[in-house]
Amino acid sequence: MSDSSLTPAVSIGSKKASKNPWYGRRSADEWSLGGILIIGVLGLLICVVMPIYTLLSKSVEDKDGHFIGLANFAKFIETPSLFSSISNSLFIALVSTLIVTSLSFLTAYAICRTRIPLKGLFRMVLVLPILAPSLLPAISLVYLFGNQGILKEVLMGESIYGPIGIIIGSCFWTFPHALMIMLTALANTDARLYESTEVLGASPMRTFFTVTLPAAKYGIISVAFVIFTLVITDFGVPKVIGGQFNVLATDIYKQVIGQQNFEMGATVSVILLLPAILTFITDRWLQRRQSALLTSKAVPWVAPIRKRIDSAFFVLLLLVSGVILGVIAMAVYASLVTFWPYNLSLSLKNYNFDLMDGGGWDSYFNSIELALYTAAIGTGFIFFQSYLVAKLAGFKLLKWFFHLFAILPLAVPGLVLGLAYIFFFNAPNNPLNGIYGTMIILVVCTISHFYTVCHLTATTALKQIDSEFESVSASLKVPQIVTFWRVSLPVCMPAVLDIASYLFVNAMTTVSAVVFLYSYNTSLASVAVLNMDDAGDIAPAAAMAVMIMLTCMVARLVHWILGNVVLKYTQDWRQR
Amino acid sequence: MSSPTYLEMNNIDQMFGSYQALNNVSLNITEGEFVCFLGPSGCGKTSLLRIIAGLDMPTSGSILQVGKDITYAPIKQRDFGIVFQSYALFPNLTVSDNIAYGLSAKHATERMTANDRRARVTELLVTVGLSGSEEKYPAQLSGGQQQRVALARALATSPGLLLLDEPLSALDARVRAHLRQEIKQLQEKLGVTTIMVTHDQEEALTMADKIVVMNQGVIEQIGSPQEVYTKPNTPFVADFVGEMNFLSAKVSGAGEMASGGLTLNYSQASDLVIGDSAQLAIRPEDVRFHTENTQDNILNATVLHLEFLGSRMRSLLQLENHERPILADISMNEMSRLNFTQGQKITCQLPADRLHVFGGSV
Repeated sequence: MSDSSLTPAVSIGSKKASKNPWYGRRSADEWSLGGILIIGVLGLLICVVMPIYTLLSKSVEDKDGHFIGLANFAKFIETPSLFSSISNSLFIALVSTLIVTSLSFLTAYAICRTRIPLKGLFRMVLVLPILAPSLLPAISLVYLFGNQGILKEVLMGESIYGPIGIIIGSCFWTFPHALMIMLTALANTDARLYESTEVLGASPMRTFFTVTLPAAKYGIISVAFVIFTLVITDFGVPKVIGGQFNVLATDIYKQVIGQQNFEMGATVSVILLLPAILTFITDRWLQRRQSALLTSKAVPWVAPIRKRIDSAFFVLLLLVSGVILGVIAMAVYASLVTFWPYNLSLSLKNYNFDLMDGGGWDSYFNSIELALYTAAIGTGFIFFQSYLVAKLAGFKLLKWFFHLFAILPLAVPGLVLGLAYIFFFNAPNNPLNGIYGTMIILVVCTISHFYTVCHLTATTALKQIDSEFESVSASLKVPQIVTFWRVSLPVCMPAVLDIASYLFVNAMTTVSAVVFLYSYNTSLASVAVLNMDDAGDIAPAAAMAVMIMLTCMVARLVHWILGNVVLKYTQDWRQR
Repeated sequence: MSSPTYLEMNNIDQMFGSYQALNNVSLNITEGEFVCFLGPSGCGKTSLLRIIAGLDMPTSGSILQVGKDITYAPIKQRDFGIVFQSYALFPNLTVSDNIAYGLSAKHATERMTANDRRARVTELLVTVGLSGSEEKYPAQLSGGQQQRVALARALATSPGLLLLDEPLSALDARVRAHLRQEIKQLQEKLGVTTIMVTHDQEEALTMADKIVVMNQGVIEQIGSPQEVYTKPNTPFVADFVGEMNFLSAKVSGAGEMASGGLTLNYSQASDLVIGDSAQLAIRPEDVRFHTENTQDNILNATVLHLEFLGSRMRSLLQLENHERPILADISMNEMSRLNFTQGQKITCQLPADRLHVFGGSV
């Protein structure tokens, strides 16, 4: 080892102290992308964090803006009509949660773990309610079981206006959300576990309770919390069919729209935030626990033929699908009947929205406009920001804040967000108050409302891409934005389409946040359903709800065509 | 060696919180050299590569590429091509688009025409032996072919430095052995300075001009493959590169050590004095069984166990007057003459010139 070049080059000369320059090791390229990330963080700060902060502070202020501590909450509790809403809301939410959770588990089991035929068709039918506003089942129930309903006798004298109606309606529109989570929870199986139990001589029952159920445990808990929150924060169904039965969500609406009592609205909103936050925390916790359940070595389980079990589940799916189709069909039929129940001849009279209150056809086209803007701008913004968070080097603190802000909307019910927007953007000293009453605020609010799911979808898709792409392109002197455009975006195209379609459908159907924010010129279809129903024009309300549903179906069809036809042709690299 | 220094690393430290990933690493790499960073996972070899590439920053120290300080330079201002363990081929681009990825954007001033690019891609595909695959997508290629495309992409812009991060570890054994040779030949042909990170000692021994053995953030030894194998500096190197029997011992005289109940002669120069504790080490293949005409270190032993390894037989020997059994490899040719059986008493030799001496006990 005498050759000098082979010995470790220990301290040649002095320690060359190379100073880290102030701009770090980032290129101009990375700084400009970092700038966009900063804009994203500020955007979320303005559109999510600050409105909610304003709402929280309003709940501890009086009409003149003085701090009064928890006086509003005390008043809420002392007012019997308001306070009873809490127990009403809890009752409705708990019963609905119980029904939806068990029903969605059984149907998901039928789809994932049995040999019944027509699974694809069932699956399509079972998620249909997601394409309709939550008002549609409520209206349909009025026609089925209302005072002039065709099945009124089934209720044996009980009124559909009240808890029964709210529960049925809530179950209807929340069911697809539960089903999708359950399907994911039950989709992955490990045949080796089932083989083990069989070899060990366990009965099918024991296998179910020791293998199947524990594996789906987190899914079930997650469904329960999600449904509970959806039901307790929804106000469409109780508004239409609740009658005199007050719940928290309708209280906010009444306090704000009816009595202009914004402080009390804020107070109820804060109370409504609690279950949502609880769900949010539970969900985060579950996400962390769930991951390691299945190893990559798992062998998918194929259900054996079990004649009796299969036919029982087949009947169940027929029943559930029948109810869903029946409720939808009733709404469609009701919208086509000329004058219920006296003139049952079919006509399009109820679709002549321009003759009714609620904004007419303009509101429908406003909704389309809102949905298109939301899908286009929202998808672009959300995906690009998620890309920066996932793939830009450095900026750790900024990314941490971004992620926090992006997750936050999940914990905020739409009604609460809408009210928060009034407080924040309608304040005279807010330089942005010019957007109040315009289409812009509706788009901003809708994107913010549905931000989290889109952000998580994008992040999941981006995480599946090789993390070295950016390093490789940097070593090849290619700007990162070029790699985003040429590689990351095309590879994530299916996720991008999912996000766009999700935003479009939700923008079409949502009522809760936008009901506080629309103006005379920006009335929306979903709000028109509410207002027409309020004015007693139930058939036109049903007609508008049907229009919304049809539009969402078209959107889903376009999504399907883009995903399955266009992508197949342009993305042949996906095939091996 | 008169070739100029291409890459110079001085006193590199890297801390992650309180964990020291690299500790005062200094290293010079000559132009055109094929250098392997070898070590177990967590030894700091990948950290060092990422610092050279600019993917991570050192806590202190400096790196000079052809005399220019690049310690904190952005990736784009460095001159290197890199092949990752995952290859990181763009799945939605064809082989030819993948390879041409860096050609279209290299420098605005010397932007290549589409024809030039096509010619360059064809040339590179010939070089890596994949002619005719231009229009295929990465998913349609085998692991070995993907590896070649990644190599071609890294070489497309004719970088002065080629970085290979465990490039062969995702391939199966046969393809690996084949590609090992090919990469080495290609590197020699192009003369590009190359750094490869690997945990596979065989890979390092067969490919490298110079091996840098690393352990726990420190360079243990730098040397040619032969040097690292035959003259390991430290017990770690001796143990990590190839196989080694260790016997703890104490210096008992000039060139003489006591280990267990044995006295062994050694010829390696060392500055140990009588009474110092040390370690004697010998490779399994250096144990001899022809004991005629020799006197050094002849020992009686019992064959505890025999294991057939194909080209050779591995035996576990219980040395007389020593509690620690040693491994010895016997070629099959020799074995046919010796004809050992389990339990047999034999004599063997630990040749003095094959005994390695390491100071201190581990």
